[in-house]
This record gives sequence, structure tokens and C-alpha cells, in this order.
Amino acid sequence: MDNAVEVKGLGKDYKGFSLRDVSFVLPQGTIMGLVGPNGAGKTTIIKLILNLVRKNGGEIRVFGLDHLQHEAEIKSRIGFVHETPAYIEDATLKDLKTAIAPFYKKWDETLFRSLMAEFGLPAEKKFKKLSHGMKMKFQIALALSHGADLLVMDEPTSGLDPVFRRELLERLSGWMQDERKSILFSTHITSDLERTADHITLVDDGTIVLSRPKDEIKETWGIVKGAAELMTEKRRASFKGVRTTAFGFEALTDDIPAARREFGPGAVIDRASIEDIMIFMDRGNGHA
Amino acid sequence: MRNLILKDLILHRKFLLLVGGLYGAWMGYFGSRMGSLRVSIFLSTFLSCIIPLMIFTREDKFKAASVSCSLPVTRKQIVLSRYILSWALMLIVYALIVLIAVVIPGGKVKAGDLLSTNAIFLALALLALFFSILMPLLVRFGMVGMFVFLIGMQVLGAVLLFLAARKILPFSLKDILASIGRALASLNAHLGGPGYYLVLFGAMLVLSAASFSLSVFLFQRKDL
Repeated sequence: MDNAVEVKGLGKDYKGFSLRDVSFVLPQGTIMGLVGPNGAGKTTIIKLILNLVRKNGGEIRVFGLDHLQHEAEIKSRIGFVHETPAYIEDATLKDLKTAIAPFYKKWDETLFRSLMAEFGLPAEKKFKKLSHGMKMKFQIALALSHGADLLVMDEPTSGLDPVFRRELLERLSGWMQDERKSILFSTHITSDLERTADHITLVDDGTIVLSRPKDEIKETWGIVKGAAELMTEKRRASFKGVRTTAFGFEALTDDIPAARREFGPGAVIDRASIEDIMIFMDRGNGHA
Repeated sequence: MRNLILKDLILHRKFLLLVGGLYGAWMGYFGSRMGSLRVSIFLSTFLSCIIPLMIFTREDKFKAASVSCSLPVTRKQIVLSRYILSWALMLIVYALIVLIAVVIPGGKVKAGDLLSTNAIFLALALLALFFSILMPLLVRFGMVGMFVFLIGMQVLGAVLLFLAARKILPFSLKDILASIGRALASLNAHLGGPGYYLVLFGAMLVLSAASFSLSVFLFQRKDL
């Protein structure tokens, strides 16, 4: 299977924040969710892929091509949705579309118009008059209307009401029926990932904590719950994260069978949700 | 390239028509009433240069550069399209100013003087000079940086004039300006009309090319 995006050893330094040695692969035909707390580096990764910020090191390949050497060619196949929709505010949606559509050879005017109607976006309205949710919808309509092979979306569901959020996720799943299409999107709404993502990449404090297929995570990652006396120092070290509760301990494992063998019937093991993993990994480098 | 130029024209057309038209007409009227042809050309070219730069400051204001740079174009293409569009707009605004200055009766500046080869080349040289300096500043520091630079230059000019008036400066500003004028006149006399204009044109091209290269260098390194 070809890869839509390959990131290797990516680095970016800001004052007070660094993205370090970020590597992951988004296989073609799949949806990857970039998840992590605020300020973890999700937006920076997306901006680096779109060459909106300069990398300090590493390599980014999109559709197998270097993202700098083939920038225009790559971007003609990318639909983008930015976290903060920033267009010329006093332009109407119609003007914005007229200005942007000619950049894309595969622009589908009929699809764009139907999306505008479906999303309830008035073409004559000025961009500044739209709510944040409407602005996101407009960005999504543009991104879906030019036959992109890859959607790169930064918090696309933020500001959307739950009904439209669900509709959007279903639409994206439908869009993925074509196996050449891929989606990379960041979010901190973990339920969106549970619903749509094939791969999960967890970012925390500028590093990739985990990047695996969602099914694998569902199969092997779990929460072990038991009495406090069961938790020894040796056992503690084998977990990705441990926290003490009023009833004992809760610990995150990436190997459910091994945890079963270790604890036997003395502990309860549940499947870990993405939110569980995010919370455990975020606290004190995994050992809360 | 064409798409980038059209994009800016579509998104800023009302602003351009309103501000460019209004300021152009205003400058044309008042420029024609100035006693000095050179001062009139100096101010008219400066205003003509500011108009296209203002549309790029609008993109800065709305933080819309991230969208432009997400489109299927390179940053070098974006900068090149801005240089081309700016030169076209500068020439249009300057032509409007000259037209109004010539058409409206009662002006002190004569049409023949404004449309002389010398005046036209002086205007082109000044446009190239102003734009070549201001564009890289705008690319690197944005709207605020460009205005800080302009205000800084005004403050510097005022301070120099103040010091010159009190004879504190170890050199004479008037002499420096006069010697530049004499050097150009001497060059004109030695080379003759066509040669002189060719040299001036070459210098404008070199300056614009250097400015373009610097702007590309800066824009490619700018984080959005």
C-alpha cells in the first residue's frame, strides 16, 4: 500500500516549544487522527506538512514526493481546513470561491454549490458575517470540491454543533469510499476519532507518544483496575501510566494479555478508550 | 501566476477602486497645485507605491496569508505575482494622478513638464526605489513593520533637518542632495539622452531584481 504522508524525524523549534523527532506514516486510503492536549504540537505538524512553517529538520513526503520540491503539485491534491479560518473578511463567499476555484484543475462547481446549499451557506454573505461554525463549513465545502486525494484538517469539528459534526464525519467516511483518498485531521474531541479514524497518532509536548492502527490499540490497550497492594514497583514500571484512586489503582497497559497473566483474576481489565490513553499519557509522562 | 493576480484583484477590487481612485484623484488635484514639479512627482510616486502595498497589508490584517500559502503555488510565485500586480497598479494610479493633474484647470504644473521624458523616467525611478525598499519590509515585518519604518524615516528626516538648521551636523544635507543632482546631470551630459535613460532603466531593473530576490528569501523563511 502506498503512503499518502510520510513524516520522518521532523523537528521545529519555537521559543518555549519544540517539536522533536516526529515520525509517522499515513497509508493511502485511511483516516489518521492526530490527537493530543492543547499546545501539544498538532497544529505545528499540520502547518509543517503544508509548508506554512519551516522545519528545522527531518523529512516530509506527500504522495511519495518531497513536500518542498513538489510543493505546488502536492498542494493541488490537498484539501485544507485550518483551525482558524482566515480569509479576506470583507469578501463575500462567492468572491472567495471565484478567487480560489481557478487554482484547481478538478474544481467541481456543481458539488460546491450543492455543499453550499446543504451547509446553509449564503453565497452573497460576507465572510466576516459568518459564525465560526459557518466559517468552518465554508472551508470544508472548498476542501471537498476540488477532487483532493488528501484532506488535511486542523480541528475541523471545532465550533460545529453535534448534529453537523456527526453529518460531517459520516460525509468524510463516505468520501473515503474511494480507496485513493486519505484524511489527516487533528482534534481533541476523542469521540470523533473513535467514530472515524483508522490510525491514531497521539502527540504530547512536541513528541509522538504513539502512532498505531486504531484496531490494534483497541485490541491491546487496556485499563487495569485493582487493589493498591497489587501494585508493586516492578509492575508499575511496566505500565504506560498509573494513577491511585480511592479504591486502589488504575493503570494503562499496551499489552492486555500480559496484564492478564500478571494479575490473574485479582484485577479487572477494561478496553482503553482513546480518551483514557490521552489522559494517562498526558499525566506526568504517563506515570501520574 | 495569472490565478494569483486575479485572486488579489477579485478580493481587493472594491478597496482598490475606492482607495486607489480617491487618493489618486486627491493627489492629482493637489499635485497639480504644487509649485515644484519634482516635489509633485515625488509625492505622487510615493502615493502610487503605497496603494498596491495596502492590499497586501489587508492580507496581513486578516491573517489570510496562510490560505494563500496553502493553495497550489510556491511562495516564490506568490511574491512574483505581487511584484507584477504592484507595478501594474502603480503605473495605473500614477497615470490617473497625471491625468487629473493635466485635465483639471488651474494647475501650476504644466502638462508638458509632467509628460516629458525626464519627468516620466524620474517617476519610474522613484516608483522602483520606493517599492523596492518597502516591499521586502512588508514581507518580513508586515503592515506594522512597514509603517514603523516609514514613521522612523520621517522622524529621522525631521531630526536631520532640525540639526542642519542649527548647523550641528558635520555635513550639509543640501550639499548632499545637490551633489546627487549634479552627478545625475553630469551622467546625462556625458551619455546623452538615450544612454542616460538606458543606464537609469538598468539601475531600476537591478534594484527591482535585488528587491524581488530579497522578498522571496524573506517570504520563504516566514512562519505563518
